[in-house]
Amino acid sequence: MTTSVNRTIRERVQRIETMPAIPAVFLPLLRLLNNSVDEVKLDEVVRLISYDGAIAAQCLRVAGSPLFGMAQPPKSIKGAVISLGLRRVETILLTCCLGQAFPAKKWALDPAVFWRHSLGCAMVCRKFSEKLAAADHEKAYMAGLLHDIGFMVNCLAFPKEFAMAMERACQEEVPLHEAEHSTMGFTHCETGRVLAEKWKLADDIIAVIAHHHGVGQSQKSQPLVALVHLSDLLCRTRGLGYGYYERRMVDLIADPAWAILLQEHRDLEGVDLVRFTFELDEAVGEIHALVSTVFGLAPATART
Amino acid sequence: MTIVPQPPVAQPAPNKSAETVDPVYRQIRDLVYKVSGIYKAEEKLYLLADGCARRMKQTDARTPREYWDRLTAAPSRDAELRELLNEITIGETCLFRSQPQLDALRKVILPEIVTEKVKQVTKRLRIWSAGCSTGEESYTLAMNMLEESERLLKGWTVEILATDLNDRSVETAKAGIYGDYALRNTSDLYKRKYFSTVDEKRLQVRPEVKKLIAFSRLNLQDDSKMLFMKGMDLIFCCNVLIYFDGASKSKVINHFFSDLNFGGYFFLGTSESLMKLNDQFHLVHFPGTIAYWKPSLSSGKL
Ligand SMILES: C[S@@+](CC[C@H](N)C(=O)[O-])C[C@H]1O[C@@H](n2cnc3c(N)ncnc32)[C@H](O)[C@@H]1O
Ligand SMILES: [Fe+2]
Ligand SMILES: [Fe+2]
Repeated sequence: MTTSVNRTIRERVQRIETMPAIPAVFLPLLRLLNNSVDEVKLDEVVRLISYDGAIAAQCLRVAGSPLFGMAQPPKSIKGAVISLGLRRVETILLTCCLGQAFPAKKWALDPAVFWRHSLGCAMVCRKFSEKLAAADHEKAYMAGLLHDIGFMVNCLAFPKEFAMAMERACQEEVPLHEAEHSTMGFTHCETGRVLAEKWKLADDIIAVIAHHHGVGQSQKSQPLVALVHLSDLLCRTRGLGYGYYERRMVDLIADPAWAILLQEHRDLEGVDLVRFTFELDEAVGEIHALVSTVFGLAPATART
Repeated sequence: MTIVPQPPVAQPAPNKSAETVDPVYRQIRDLVYKVSGIYKAEEKLYLLADGCARRMKQTDARTPREYWDRLTAAPSRDAELRELLNEITIGETCLFRSQPQLDALRKVILPEIVTEKVKQVTKRLRIWSAGCSTGEESYTLAMNMLEESERLLKGWTVEILATDLNDRSVETAKAGIYGDYALRNTSDLYKRKYFSTVDEKRLQVRPEVKKLIAFSRLNLQDDSKMLFMKGMDLIFCCNVLIYFDGASKSKVINHFFSDLNFGGYFFLGTSESLMKLNDQFHLVHFPGTIAYWKPSLSSGKL
């Protein structure tokens, strides 16, 4: 990417001062998440959540979804914090906050599709990392949730250019980042990175956002980037993609990301990928339901 | 399977939610997966439960727990597992059963094979439907290939080999006569184009579709015959290996591997897994479906 393209991206990202209807607690929360767990005070999190009534209500709804593993919806934020644990609650809160970032205008990438993919990828990242004893599951969830925020930037800052890329991807049935590259000369990885830096996200999350389509290029946190890369691919072949048919064969185990992840986590070898794929299908319905009820969207129109 | 599939007796109740299912069924699900590679997803557990319920009647098991004992304790174990597998796979088959498989075939695999073989003099595509039962899958493949005959496959010869152990199934398959239930996924377009009417209830596959297929009896465990099935581009073997024990399964899979051309694909049923029985095949994903790939020589992945 040339420096002039980079400058254009930076300028346009600066101009989108506020994401659409993003809740005030969002950025403070992200900063809080950057701290290590011990430093985060439980009261602080409960206070942040309760700060915004709508957010608090949504949090309780999300926490009650089977995806977060509670049999009964929690009655209070404090109750949720106690039974789910602080870190799980933070990821739930983050999910809600991002869900609020809803556009007034139509996006080139249908927001419902985008959120299903992001939430789906977050869930797959967590389930996948749960198979690897040494992985940080909540971190994996967060990385999955945020990996494609560059698409948000594209919809807001480059609506015309990105609409063309989207159209090309749908027509030629090629991966979206390839269509971005050939029509715009840059991808959501670059725009996402600029936003992530502006938001001062943690380094490993920035690495995921910038390199999830080219794991080898990442200087940092390669195993996490690899995990997101693989989960993203898996989502896109199981009905949680970008809303169109991607005409290609995906060989996850031969993907360089698999080897990178395996190097760090030997227990990857024992993962039954087929069964994992079937189990992921079981959660697709949940994800659709969660996105439409919590984020107030109409049920799916597009498949894949 | 000797009879033409009929609708399952008990119709699925769509509102039965996962929570109402006895946890024993999850244990049975895991057992079935372990021995057969068939995975019944959470939302399809009621189908497994229905299958078990019918078997429980037959075996006088009063509770799912008791039935679990029948499934796990010698001497009834092996026979009962077989019965249960029959129960949960019967009546599943129909024409156009898996659209994602057909999409992968026409959108990704065919263009790939056509490009790979472009230099060859004879443009020939060979497909094997192994354990074809009453022919639904074989005809579905044939019709889809005919759809491509004016485009991707212009100038190509397509041969479909359809084999099954069971003579009666093979005979039924040859006749190519199907009722509403088998045709429930078949669009009107295909019905008009590739079928003729037999009577009010049944349609028959037209001769131009049949022409593509050679039906015959074949036991997949017959090693001498399996050695001669060379030069395949695609093998479909859906819900057949589920009855085989580990050793025979991996023997058959090794045959499939050597019977396939480089760059060829092997498909199982949509909820079926090869598990870790073969490490030469690459497990690959297409939208909505998985397959096993014998890497092409040009891919450098052998
Ligand atoms: C459940 S049916 C599946 C039929 C069809 N492929 C489908 O997907 O609906 C299993 C079929 O496997 C066949 N079969 C079982 N053992 C076999 C063997 N050793 N060799 C060939 N076919 C066999 C049976 O005759 C039966 O038709
Ligand atoms: Fe991406
Ligand atoms: Fe993605």
